[in-house]
Amino acid sequence: MRSFSTARVLLFALGVIVLASFLPLGVSGYILGLLTIAYYFGVFAMSWDLLFGFAGEVNFGPTFLIGTGAYAAGILDNLYQLPIWICLVAGALAAVIGGVVLALPALRVRGPYFGLTTLVAVLMLQNFIVVAAGLTGGEIGLVVPDVISVSDTTNYEIALWFMAISGAILFSLSRSPVGLILQASGQDAVQAGALGFNVTKHKLAAFIISAFFSGLAGALMVFYLGTASVGTLVDITVGVQIIIAAVLGGRRTILGAVLGAIFLIAMSEALRPLGDLSNFVVFAIALIVVLLFPNGLLGLLTGTKENI
Amino acid sequence: MNKFKKRATCSPMLAVLPANAVFLALALALATPTYAQTKDPIKIGVIAEAQAVAGSSIPLAAQLAADEINAAGGVNGRKIEIVSYDNHSSAAESVRAFQRAANEDHVNAVIASYISEVVLALEPWAGRLKTVMITPGAASDVITQNIAKDYKHNKYTFHGYLTSTSIADSVCDSAKDLLVKDLKMKTAVVMSEDAAWTTPLDAEYLKCLPKIGLKVIDHIRVSPDTTDFTPIFNKIEGEKPDVIITGISHVGVQPTVQAKSQEVPIPMYGVSSQASNSSFWQDTNGAVDGVLYQAVSGPDVAVTPKTLPFVAAFKKRFGNFPSYCGYTAYDEVYYIADAIKRAGSTDPDKLVDALEKTDYVGTIGRVQFQGKDTPYPHALKIGASTITGLMLQWQNGKQVNLWPAKVANGKLKFPKFIKVGSAN
Amino acid sequence: MLFWQILIDGFAISSLYALGATGFALIFGVSGVLNLSHGALMVAAVVAAWAAGAHLHAGPYAGAALGVAIGFSTSLLTYFVIVRPLQHSRKIREEEKEIFILTATLLWGIMIQELIAYLYTNNAKTVAPIVEGVVWIVGVRTPSNEIFTAVVCWLVIGLLWLLVNRTRAGKAVLAASMNPRGVTLLGIELSQVYIAVWAIYGVLVGIAGVLLGMFLGVSSYSVGPLTASAFAIVVLGGLGSVSGALIAAYVVGYLETMTAYLISPAYRTIPALLLVVAVMYVRPRGLLGRR
Repeated sequence: MRSFSTARVLLFALGVIVLASFLPLGVSGYILGLLTIAYYFGVFAMSWDLLFGFAGEVNFGPTFLIGTGAYAAGILDNLYQLPIWICLVAGALAAVIGGVVLALPALRVRGPYFGLTTLVAVLMLQNFIVVAAGLTGGEIGLVVPDVISVSDTTNYEIALWFMAISGAILFSLSRSPVGLILQASGQDAVQAGALGFNVTKHKLAAFIISAFFSGLAGALMVFYLGTASVGTLVDITVGVQIIIAAVLGGRRTILGAVLGAIFLIAMSEALRPLGDLSNFVVFAIALIVVLLFPNGLLGLLTGTKENI
Repeated sequence: MNKFKKRATCSPMLAVLPANAVFLALALALATPTYAQTKDPIKIGVIAEAQAVAGSSIPLAAQLAADEINAAGGVNGRKIEIVSYDNHSSAAESVRAFQRAANEDHVNAVIASYISEVVLALEPWAGRLKTVMITPGAASDVITQNIAKDYKHNKYTFHGYLTSTSIADSVCDSAKDLLVKDLKMKTAVVMSEDAAWTTPLDAEYLKCLPKIGLKVIDHIRVSPDTTDFTPIFNKIEGEKPDVIITGISHVGVQPTVQAKSQEVPIPMYGVSSQASNSSFWQDTNGAVDGVLYQAVSGPDVAVTPKTLPFVAAFKKRFGNFPSYCGYTAYDEVYYIADAIKRAGSTDPDKLVDALEKTDYVGTIGRVQFQGKDTPYPHALKIGASTITGLMLQWQNGKQVNLWPAKVANGKLKFPKFIKVGSAN
Repeated sequence: MLFWQILIDGFAISSLYALGATGFALIFGVSGVLNLSHGALMVAAVVAAWAAGAHLHAGPYAGAALGVAIGFSTSLLTYFVIVRPLQHSRKIREEEKEIFILTATLLWGIMIQELIAYLYTNNAKTVAPIVEGVVWIVGVRTPSNEIFTAVVCWLVIGLLWLLVNRTRAGKAVLAASMNPRGVTLLGIELSQVYIAVWAIYGVLVGIAGVLLGMFLGVSSYSVGPLTASAFAIVVLGGLGSVSGALIAAYVVGYLETMTAYLISPAYRTIPALLLVVAVMYVRPRGLLGRR
């Protein structure tokens, strides 16, 4: 029993997006810059939600996919000065390849073991970036010669519509039969398999889709900031922020992840006067939400309860 | 199958948060007044690593300079206002902070970071947003090489600290007197961390050390996230050099403490940025005893008449001594103010012209920038008439200056486990 | 020469890993909780011991004691504030509690990390060693502190073994790790067992932290890698198996030391990570795992 059809939700979301696209008329460049980052984070969190919320896989390695896409695109641009769109495509492809490589061993194991595999993948990528400092810029970052645009408005609109399109695809997917099979296999893989669904194939598909959007978003972010660094795109802390955004927004909602991401960024900005303590407070608030309102913001706003 | 039902009911409230965000954004936009009148303050943005020992002095020293200038009447009647941002040592956060400083807070100049990679990430943004940026502590030569390559776009960046090449030269100059002449040392191993600023440093070490008579037996680059230095020290010891020439900044406590606990008998000499902090003795529980490090300033060294009063004022106000980039950040606020006064405007292009003509005696020496036709435009001029650099040593909890002789206040001495000259 | 060096250095670091991972394995064995704030608890203990020396001018023993006390109390705080409320929560479905505990402990760890960086900067801290100087073992100049580290680690692990196998409370813990429901039938409160385990874990984490602080030193950046290495060791050994974790600690410790000496310190952790992935691929329950 769904109170709202997929089409109606998407239409409604489109309305919000169109409204948001007029924001540059009334808002300073700095706020646009913040929202640009928040939108890319939203895509990261939605991709993560598809894997965890639906496929039931505890993925600690969203940044493995993001980082692979971002660095592949950034390094290509740095070495060969290729046009940005080629770098973006290459970044997304690299992330998909990374996703398949990660999925093959990871799909054999479940629960904490799966979590560890993804965590190890992030650490390996981080190690590689630091060791291959000549290529990647090492610990602190890679500077790319090109950026998409220096205009805040252009960057904002790119991020907004990119998020809108990825959100629409991910959301429709989650509500399609594929999404239902994923969810069923996430809750009871054996039963789903017994019903005749090819669980592994569906999970692999989820991995590839998640990787594609994560990698593309990562690559776009590189050409927005003009730099790629472990601290912004790969570090475990970034992965944790993505997980928090998705959990804060509400798991298994896809669109909630965007709310979570905007909330996190707005919060760290609002708390900036606290200085160094602001991160601490942001994490503390996130922890309180996780402890007290496990259904996240969407759950909180609509009053939905998990039905046990 | 009622498990699938719950997510459907949530959509109507979807709009609430974005709507709030819009509201918040509008409110913030309205709350920010636009400064246009000439008597409004001159704003200097400070983007620094507030959680790192070296970086934490940057905003404090800049504030101190601003307060002094304001107390003396400001610049042409305009006060100086410091707007500071913590970048959490991250290049991307620095870019965000820079965008905020230029677009939102409309600063007239930015003092940014002691990390070369951060400054390199900001350099194109200084050009894109036409905002003057000076680094108080980054060292990579690439910063000024970029200016030489594309002067038109990158001219807004100034290098307010020594380049890696000139730091290496300063180390070699002092080593010639202290190690080769006095201690008759003949061989060295270069040990530096793998980072942007050490690439030109190491290249210059490998060139200048043989010239002063120190043969380089080995050259080791250490990953900055190394925690256990035992294998590295063991390897170096096996090669029996007279001295280890260092190039470390992001790492500091761990190699120093581990060298002491393993009683590595070879002295360490060179660049060890963290050792320039007064708290380093405490951080290492005294393991830094005997370590020599290059710097442009030291707590009791009167490099210029301005040095000691600055240190005293900083200590009085903040309770500790400034790190090396505290000195440079302090000077930078002064010469930015001076340049704005001479330019009679805060227009970025006029400010660049005025800064290029800077001739200011600060706490680390006489500040002059190299011209735009040199290989390192906007780098500090180095030499006896401008800035020489110092060589200090930690001795019993104190930073003692050994070189150059005219400002030295102590003699070289090592803890017992270091065997000078034993390695031949 | 190199052989002895690797043998001696590897032993000290492996013993430290073993002590750190033992507590982590114990918690998982008894309560099924993977505590991802593990590294943060260790770093908190180090920083407390360091601050006692640097700011309160305490001697090495007092500093170490304060470090262990902080490890102990932070561990209990973690249990009462984070883990227990989630375990008892009615809003979260049973099968999702695992991810919630993982996320919440991870968050908690990062909070501790941020707080430490705020209070004491993110520079590395080292604890003043209790024993100083060096001794020569088969031609290798070894810091006495390294030997001290290994000895203390094994003493503590030995004491833990005695506690678990020779005392009534310890036997209850052991029984709970094998069959939680069976223990309740014997009239033992499971929640008492949990508290006891978290208390023991806190002491182990505190000691391991302080020793690490004397041996290598840590910074607030070490939180993630420390958690990851304990996690990897415990998975390699087999989740829930303390003896498996001990063996795995030596495998990882020696693999890392050999890599650092024979290849390059920069590649130190990579072979160990590859090994963990390989083991999970071939034998997903780890070396001695039973789950």
